[in-house]
Amino acid sequence: MGRYDFRPFRVRQTAKALFDSKRNASLPCWYDTVGNIPPSETLARPILRAPRPKGVKKPSRMFQPLPIVHPEDRLRTEFFGDHPWELARPRLVVEDSGNDAKEYDWSRIVQPGKQLDGESVVQRQLWLMKHSKFSKAHAYDVARREFYKYRHLEEIRQRVAKEEALSTGAYFGKGPLEIGMELEDRTWESWKVWAERQIDDEQQARAQMFSGPQDEGLSGEEMDEALEVVQPVVPDSKEGQPALGGAAIHP
Amino acid sequence: MIVRSVALRHGRHAIASNFLSRRFLASQVDSIEAAAENSIKQLQSLETQLNSGVPIPEPSAEPDLFSRSSTVAEQYQLFKQQQKLTQTLGSDISAHYKPHTLLSNPPSPADVTLELLLAAEAHQGHATSLWNPANARYIHGVRQGIHIISLDVTAAHLRRASKVVQEVSKRGGIVLFVGTRDGQDTAVVRAAQLAKGYHLFERWIPGSITNGQQILGKCATKVMNEKDEVVPGFDEQLYERPVLKPDLVVCVNPMENYVLLHECALNNIPTIGVIDTNADPTWVTYPIPANDDSLRCIQVIAGVLGRAGEAGQKQRLELAEKGQITYRPAQGLVAPGEDDLTTASPEVNQEIREKVFHDTESIVDADELSDKIDADANHEGDGRRIRVTS
Repeated sequence: MGRYDFRPFRVRQTAKALFDSKRNASLPCWYDTVGNIPPSETLARPILRAPRPKGVKKPSRMFQPLPIVHPEDRLRTEFFGDHPWELARPRLVVEDSGNDAKEYDWSRIVQPGKQLDGESVVQRQLWLMKHSKFSKAHAYDVARREFYKYRHLEEIRQRVAKEEALSTGAYFGKGPLEIGMELEDRTWESWKVWAERQIDDEQQARAQMFSGPQDEGLSGEEMDEALEVVQPVVPDSKEGQPALGGAAIHP
Repeated sequence: MIVRSVALRHGRHAIASNFLSRRFLASQVDSIEAAAENSIKQLQSLETQLNSGVPIPEPSAEPDLFSRSSTVAEQYQLFKQQQKLTQTLGSDISAHYKPHTLLSNPPSPADVTLELLLAAEAHQGHATSLWNPANARYIHGVRQGIHIISLDVTAAHLRRASKVVQEVSKRGGIVLFVGTRDGQDTAVVRAAQLAKGYHLFERWIPGSITNGQQILGKCATKVMNEKDEVVPGFDEQLYERPVLKPDLVVCVNPMENYVLLHECALNNIPTIGVIDTNADPTWVTYPIPANDDSLRCIQVIAGVLGRAGEAGQKQRLELAEKGQITYRPAQGLVAPGEDDLTTASPEVNQEIREKVFHDTESIVDADELSDKIDADANHEGDGRRIRVTS
């Protein structure tokens, strides 16, 4: 064939030809080895799908690899569709021996040596569908509720651990809320500067249009009244915002 | 458990001093409770000492354990007793992946299992749009946008390549392990160490084989006998000899080493390479379809090939001990101390012919003679056969 270079493949034949034509004084040391252990067949493409019927313009996909599909895939899309933030949790992909999943017993949702994950929910759901003969929806609900229970316990554990650490003298860096507030404050200050500049520009433009002194705006008492009306809506104020409700309680 | 923590923190010194002075044998200690009881007793004894007003020997900067007065045997006994106490403490860590074992103790070809290759991420190919259709045979399917390499195909090809490395090493061939990506250097060096071969982890200088005399002409070479002992006295003869070329090249990242593989093809050198789904399998003689982007996979493959080379070298040396040589010795070298430098080859051949004539009464065929000479040259070893290595 034109585009292919088969010289690596034909190494033994070339060595024999060179020796027979006395170009080389001896056969190479690997000659017998490569003869006994020939290279594997190359460039062969197996047929994987059914061929297209005649008269169709698109090229055939007969030789293209097939997608690998598992029955768990649909369950996974359902779970992660309902709980998208579970995808944001960090995941350990490194395997120990390759046989990690052999010892798992999905009669319980928590497995030693495995993170509690959406994957555990899916496997537990499958086990329930298979062994307890639940329907898909019922198995999903049972597995999901077990998952929520253990996540709740994890969160409690984390909170208690943090409190213990703080009480024994640990200190942490700025949390996300604190950093978020700082960023908001910075944005607010820069907006204020911009707003003041805008106000000045507008006033100057108005002053240009009309002659004579412009009124100063609201008086002191009127300003206080106006502020009292607006106060609850302003975020960065001493009084703060009125509380709208309590934190969500886990079922 | 304040008592226990005190005992653990200062236990070594407390227990040591008490052992020396009171012969507190802890041979029956099995559990943590027993250790705690012991430490409670020791504290109580300390208390009584305090109350009695007897001066307690203060713990010096150099505790009794390390004092010159105690012998090595006593120190060892102390160490063993402490070890017995503290050994069972702490958590039980189950078997898990230890990355350094792939380099310190690589798997052998017999240890290659599909689970090992799966854990080493050998099945992960590249994105489906980047594939080379020539690799279609090695691909199991498509998942998450990438091609998944069939691990049974990988295992079969890896075993085949390891057998080739073993046989070439057994015949005293020069095996070169090449891996030029970041992080592949340790794997490649380790494989070369095991197989008594050569390694390359920096850029391949183009022309090292085709223009070898220029690039590698100044490299040192030496002559070794069949037992891998250096035979001195050949410097002048080696100076005139042509540069050596490898007999087998194992390349762990062929995508970056096309020039090397092409030079091998031009010079008729068989090659082994790790072929990913986007690589060209015709570049190498023995492809191993696997993931060349995963360091763990490369360490497994290089380790297996290194172990195969080690087995081949062991076989060669065992046969050499028995007097059998598995290779064709270097031609044109005269043993040092000989006067006649010009008739090197004919002399050796003459020797063989004489031996052959002594053995047989008459020789019918020239073919038979050539067969006998070949058989003699290949199998006989009397300690004066020599092999050139660099």
